Amino acid sequence: MLLEINGLTKYFGGLFAVRQFDMQINEGEIVGLIGPNGAGKTTTFNLITGVLRSNSGTITFAGKDITGKKPHEIAKLGIARTFQLNPLFGDFTVLENISASFHLYPRSSLLDIYFNTATYRLNEASILEQSLEILKLIGLDKMKDELSKNLAHGHQKMLGIGRALAVKPKLLLLDEPLGGMNPDEIDFTIRAIRKTQQKGVTILLVEHNMRIMDFCEKVIVINFGKKIAEGLPEEVRENKEVIRAYLGGEKVA
Amino acid sequence: MDMSESLSTRDGKKLTKPAFYAGLMIILSLLPLFISQGYMLHILTLTFIYIIAAVSLRTITISGQFPLAHAAFMGMGAYLSGMASKWLGWSPWLTIPLAALMTAGIGMLIGYPFARLRALYYAMVSLFFGIGVTQAIYAGGIWTGGYGGLIGISPLLPPTTSKVPYYYLSLGLAMVSIIALYRFEFCRIGTTLKAVAQSHLAASSVGINEAWYRILAMGVGCFFVGLAGAAYAHYNLVISGTSFNFMATLWLVMYVLIGGIGHFAGPIIGTFILILIPEFFRDLKTYSPFIYAGTLIIVVYLMPQGLAGLPQMVRSWFTEHRKDKRTVHAA
Repeated sequence: MLLEINGLTKYFGGLFAVRQFDMQINEGEIVGLIGPNGAGKTTTFNLITGVLRSNSGTITFAGKDITGKKPHEIAKLGIARTFQLNPLFGDFTVLENISASFHLYPRSSLLDIYFNTATYRLNEASILEQSLEILKLIGLDKMKDELSKNLAHGHQKMLGIGRALAVKPKLLLLDEPLGGMNPDEIDFTIRAIRKTQQKGVTILLVEHNMRIMDFCEKVIVINFGKKIAEGLPEEVRENKEVIRAYLGGEKVA
Repeated sequence: MDMSESLSTRDGKKLTKPAFYAGLMIILSLLPLFISQGYMLHILTLTFIYIIAAVSLRTITISGQFPLAHAAFMGMGAYLSGMASKWLGWSPWLTIPLAALMTAGIGMLIGYPFARLRALYYAMVSLFFGIGVTQAIYAGGIWTGGYGGLIGISPLLPPTTSKVPYYYLSLGLAMVSIIALYRFEFCRIGTTLKAVAQSHLAASSVGINEAWYRILAMGVGCFFVGLAGAAYAHYNLVISGTSFNFMATLWLVMYVLIGGIGHFAGPIIGTFILILIPEFFRDLKTYSPFIYAGTLIIVVYLMPQGLAGLPQMVRSWFTEHRKDKRTVHAA
């Protein structure tokens, strides 16, 4: 078990965003987390990555309790993420966005960096090489010198994924990676995500686009912060409760 | 003003025009041969010291923080060094680096709670911290000299020395500080600070301990402003709280803003111009706040990149024109 969540609860005032949420993800899996707007998907991501603190419940990653840890500590343990609103280092070029994100591995000490030692130069050369590799994977290698704030929306989304890959994650959380993309970009992104998974990265993703469900090994559906269904994509699709959650009706013929 | 524009790493490369800087250095080193006026040398010496302060403020701003207490940190350096030399009888050559180190330490301690604050809250808290430091100086009684200022600080060089050695010392100190801070900004540390400034959410998601990096920027910035303050104390020999109050902080902010926040050279140019130009119009001193305010408004509207961005503005204006012509040809 790579990630295990037990009884996770988060409320804002009197409003439950996530309520007694349980989830298990095995190593190498690709898992979809779906649900209507406001169901608590992004909150779950923020709780896993330490952006928010839960009110109760535990999160265990690779056998370690990570509940209440800070975002940078969680990244260090091997969980990377993208954001729905996709903040970038806008005034950095595409390449700089990725290379600046190589903060953890390899890591040079402050003194090595400041005094430009051989270790630092070696690390930077390796970072440059790996950054270009990532850019090729996400299809931005030809735009590496563009300022990231000038990129088209779809490209910015890809850059967000690239930045997460620079963490060399064991678990990658993608928050609506296909949001606002055109069909070609969607195809490309899905391929890039699959390639990443084939390299052994476990993936948890939030998405409204139902195409992505087809290649998820497991889909978890939440509504009002509670898990209402879990299973194979086709099972979930037939699930009455899921249909009710999405369509809001009581009886669906 | 588009603050984020300042945060790219590439500006630095344009600065490395060795010929220009070598020329500038030669002019500055030969200047005392041509200036017989002690007063002018005095003003230049102070300018060099204030350049250190302004550049060190920039180092903090690239991490996305804009503290309104920088002169207070300068005052800390000045008073710590001045008091140590006066009351403990230590040599200024020892107390100046020690005071800088202590200012850096205080800056990092203060930077810890500061690192959690953003925008307006950061501005308010740092502003009141600065005011508090000035008040503490006034309340220090005999130890700080209170409102009367601290007198009897040991001079750095024997009392009979002329202004010229001080000129070279402050020029040298400014050079070393500028080079040290330049390296700090244009290596991975500076890039990480700029990443934190652009998105702390994205930065922490890739494992950057953003609070620690903000604290580090405070420490380095405060070290150099403490150094500037301490050097000032042992040059001026009299220091008072009014040199380090909120107005003094605002001057430093003005040097950085008018000089141009988007360029490493911005605060250097800003300090030079804002200290030297008024010297030629001393009769207008009463109106200087209005003149400064007016200048700031003009800079913000017409040159968001500040004075340092002027050459680039002109260059891009020309290339735009050429591009227009080319597209006409292509069509």
